[in-house]
Amino acid sequence: MTSTIIAPASAPGRGGISVIRLSGPLAVKVGEALCGRLEKPWKLKHCKIKRKDGNVIDTGLVVFFKSPNSYTGEDVVEIHSHGNPKIVDLIVEEGVTCGAEIAGPGEFTKRAYLNNKIDLAQAESVADLISAQTEEAALAAHNSLSGQFSSDINSCIDSLVKSRVYVEASIDFPDEEVELAELAQTRSEIKKQLDFIEETLASAKRGVLVREGFSVVIVGPPNAGKSTLLNALAKKDLAITSDEAGTTRDSISVNLNLGGVVVEFVDTAGLRKKPDNEIEKEGIKRALDAVQGANLVLQVFDVTKEEKLDVFEKETVTVFNKCDLLDCFPEDSLSKVFVSSEKGLGLDRLVDLVLFKLGVGEETVLLSRRRHVTCLQDCVDCLSSSLSALDGEEGLELVAENLLAAQKCLGKITRPVSSDDLLGEIFSEFCIGK
Amino acid sequence: MDKYQIIVVGGGHAGVEAASAAARMGAQTCLVTHSIEKIGEMSCNPAIGGIGKSHLAKEVDALGGLMARAADEAGIHYRVLNSTKGQAVRATRVQTDRDLYRKAIQKFLNDQPNLTIVEASVEDIVIKNRKICSIVIDQGQQLYGEKLILTTGTFLGGIMHTGLKQKPGGRVGDPPSIRLAKKLRELPLSVGRLKTGTPPRLLKNSIDWSQLSPQPGDLPTPLLSYISSNTTRPPQIECFMTRTNKTTHQIIRDSLTESPMYTGIIEGVGPRYCPSIEDKVIRFSERDSHQIFAEPEGITSELIYPNGISTSLPHAAQEEMVRSIKGFEEAEIVRPGYAIEYDYFNPTGLYHSLETRCIEGLYFAGQINGTTGYEEAAAQGLIAGINATLSLEKKEPLTLGRHEAYMGVLIDDLVSLGTKEPYRMFTSRAEYRLIMREDNADMRLTKKGKQLGLVGDRLWQAYEEKRETAQQELLRLSRQKIIPETKEAELLEKETGEKINSPKSLKEILKRPKVSYTDLPGQLHGIHRSAIDEIEASIKYAGYIERQRVDIERLQKNENTIIPDTVIYENVVGLSNEVKQKLTEARPQSLARASRLPGVTPAAVSLLMVYLKKERKRKAG
Repeated sequence: MTSTIIAPASAPGRGGISVIRLSGPLAVKVGEALCGRLEKPWKLKHCKIKRKDGNVIDTGLVVFFKSPNSYTGEDVVEIHSHGNPKIVDLIVEEGVTCGAEIAGPGEFTKRAYLNNKIDLAQAESVADLISAQTEEAALAAHNSLSGQFSSDINSCIDSLVKSRVYVEASIDFPDEEVELAELAQTRSEIKKQLDFIEETLASAKRGVLVREGFSVVIVGPPNAGKSTLLNALAKKDLAITSDEAGTTRDSISVNLNLGGVVVEFVDTAGLRKKPDNEIEKEGIKRALDAVQGANLVLQVFDVTKEEKLDVFEKETVTVFNKCDLLDCFPEDSLSKVFVSSEKGLGLDRLVDLVLFKLGVGEETVLLSRRRHVTCLQDCVDCLSSSLSALDGEEGLELVAENLLAAQKCLGKITRPVSSDDLLGEIFSEFCIGK
Repeated sequence: MDKYQIIVVGGGHAGVEAASAAARMGAQTCLVTHSIEKIGEMSCNPAIGGIGKSHLAKEVDALGGLMARAADEAGIHYRVLNSTKGQAVRATRVQTDRDLYRKAIQKFLNDQPNLTIVEASVEDIVIKNRKICSIVIDQGQQLYGEKLILTTGTFLGGIMHTGLKQKPGGRVGDPPSIRLAKKLRELPLSVGRLKTGTPPRLLKNSIDWSQLSPQPGDLPTPLLSYISSNTTRPPQIECFMTRTNKTTHQIIRDSLTESPMYTGIIEGVGPRYCPSIEDKVIRFSERDSHQIFAEPEGITSELIYPNGISTSLPHAAQEEMVRSIKGFEEAEIVRPGYAIEYDYFNPTGLYHSLETRCIEGLYFAGQINGTTGYEEAAAQGLIAGINATLSLEKKEPLTLGRHEAYMGVLIDDLVSLGTKEPYRMFTSRAEYRLIMREDNADMRLTKKGKQLGLVGDRLWQAYEEKRETAQQELLRLSRQKIIPETKEAELLEKETGEKINSPKSLKEILKRPKVSYTDLPGQLHGIHRSAIDEIEASIKYAGYIERQRVDIERLQKNENTIIPDTVIYENVVGLSNEVKQKLTEARPQSLARASRLPGVTPAAVSLLMVYLKKERKRKAG
């Protein structure tokens, strides 16, 4: 049985409209739940996009592509809403409530390919798309969540494994005297995790987990045009610029709105091995501190000079500035961009690359959060069932079943389940010897 | 010159199931063993079953195998473990009389048509063009076979340790297979050393039984086999328990300088879950007592197997240690415990059919694959026997899925992940525990067994009867109702404390945790226990079973997507180097197996899926 998947199909960002695509056997059912009765295939219908409770999310258009004549070859429903990431997120949320799953990276295209909807020549590009979107999703997950969140989820997984150790051990080794007291303790431990996940879920729903913004730090040798770049991006004069090396002594930061996402850019003092004085030394120290806290580093060089690259333990984009001084503009790559801050050339591409490296568009972030909310919700359900199985004396194997399912849900957010981990824990915890 | 279709080397639990299965399917089969009278010997503890293991034994039984029936003919003490928990994790454990067990197995084999038994030791195997050709037995005689199944147990390069003394051997009183071990080491397989151990055997009447706490067997006797009857069983006896104490542990600590484990003489890796008493004392130093089960080796046997104190300390230290235990103060050691090290081959070198990837027609089963336990061995022997026979006619091998049988989990774990320590089955290794229960091994497998020609009439009849009974009863339970304030409602409340407030079907009532089938009105008399379990489980687990079924169906597509042996992972676009390396090492044969490898992400599976499709299209032109 194939699952039914949902995700925005239009490019992320604030456009006029967004397209949310549903594909799979339940596409029609979910589509009708959201948009009311569908027109016959390939006919657009104007509709109110509603939640189950009747609240209207948006008004838009909906169209049904009947299998096999659709993008993926499956039943496909496309919903056209206003181009607002929050609206898209709500529609996806409702789709998930109605039985769809959030599509994996490149999954629509993968299905299209597997169902012979696109030809052999495109296979490579399907692979590329999967890789790129996986990376993007990973970056989004990484960047959009506070570090606290994933470490909380991990410690919750640890604690669930611990509970499972007791439950599984008393199933697999009943002669080995797993104490009843330990089971009682397991109960309170499960309850604690349930409370914690419920709390996390509530805050995830409120959106607290999404980082307020992203930090991009501009570094490079003196007089590479870092401040000019900042001014060009901000489209106003924020930093003092001059031809003199070392004009910027302190770090200057500014919040810019890039395609709906707030990104903080930090301009820093030029880096060089032998600073002239204490002030410059302090400026360099501050620059390096800023790099520590950054999501992304833009390393700026004067393209006409040959200067050495510093290596930072951060995602880095190399920006070659002052390209207007060259005869022709070189070609960009995934880690190199050629610009002229002075003349405002190449800046759009730089912004795109920054957004890509940060794993945003806002939609990507919201989608990634939506995925986590779904996982957390499932986890809450599983943990509640395991508690009621424990209290109702339904059998320890059902407690175990639900705990494993709960761990799998959290595993989708951070680290997947491996059965040998559990046995390892059991053997180190208990003296098993029969 | 003797010619057979299938040659099985080894008369242990793997060997006998392999030989019997092949012969049942009609192959001309030869079982070669160094000692006919030791066929079916239980080299370690005198018991069959236990959690996870009874599941395997019953699956072997459901395919017409020997183990469960032999255990019932020799069973002297039965218990259902986890009886307070649900059906899925209940497990039968049978103490058996060693002699009777061996005799039962030998009788089954003697009565088996198409099977020849040869007593000889195997000196060499002859391989031509990477294909099995023949084996050389003593005096240079050759036996020709199209397929060869090796079930060599602990005999390959076996070394026994007691204290700092070592001597070559495969088991007490039996020589190891040195030349065969050497020959196999020449094959392109990854060889390793494992270790296992056994406790000293005590003289029955040197034990003060009044000091031990008795543990009676369960009644009615929960037979292991689906077709055993109560008439052939020997008399039932009690088992006894005692414990180690602080003095015992001190003696062990004082003797560690003479322990082959703790002085580094033994290099083989031992099982974490069946540790020697030395291991227990060192690793769990905070505990000052461990339990010991004093298990009789048989009705007439003078020997007691003290389960829980496997050791390789020197004889004198063993004696001192044993005598510090309550009830064992005067105990006499008839045979000291020992540790044994032996060769195994990492099972990643096998296909799921248990055929080696490097030599056509060569199959491995049992401890040679790094497993431990009689039941694990029997399961592999059975599967190897079936697949060797199927391949005679170039038929597709039988591979059981992880949702179909513990045997499937066992073999998939071994072949996909390999093992570095002796592998034992646990229910927690199975993802679909609620579906794979010991009560329904026949429902899962017997039909398959029948199609393969493995299943006799008696088993088939029993299977059909049970299936029908369960079906009809399920129908009745969903139709028949209990009405409030009737006699039936009162009776139910009296028995279970469950109130009936509105008319409820028996099925709905049985869903409640405290109600069991026998509490309900109109129960069938003489209904088989395993039919009741089947009924209860399918009602009580209904929601969970449905969820697992959806899971399984979803995976099925990936299970059915075969990865050809010829795939070069280097060419798969987008895979990380780590994933490429993992896949290249494991060479999984289906997409589902690839997805279960640690570190293989969903995205990697997608990429692989796209690549396979592309290759198929390219080949189709």
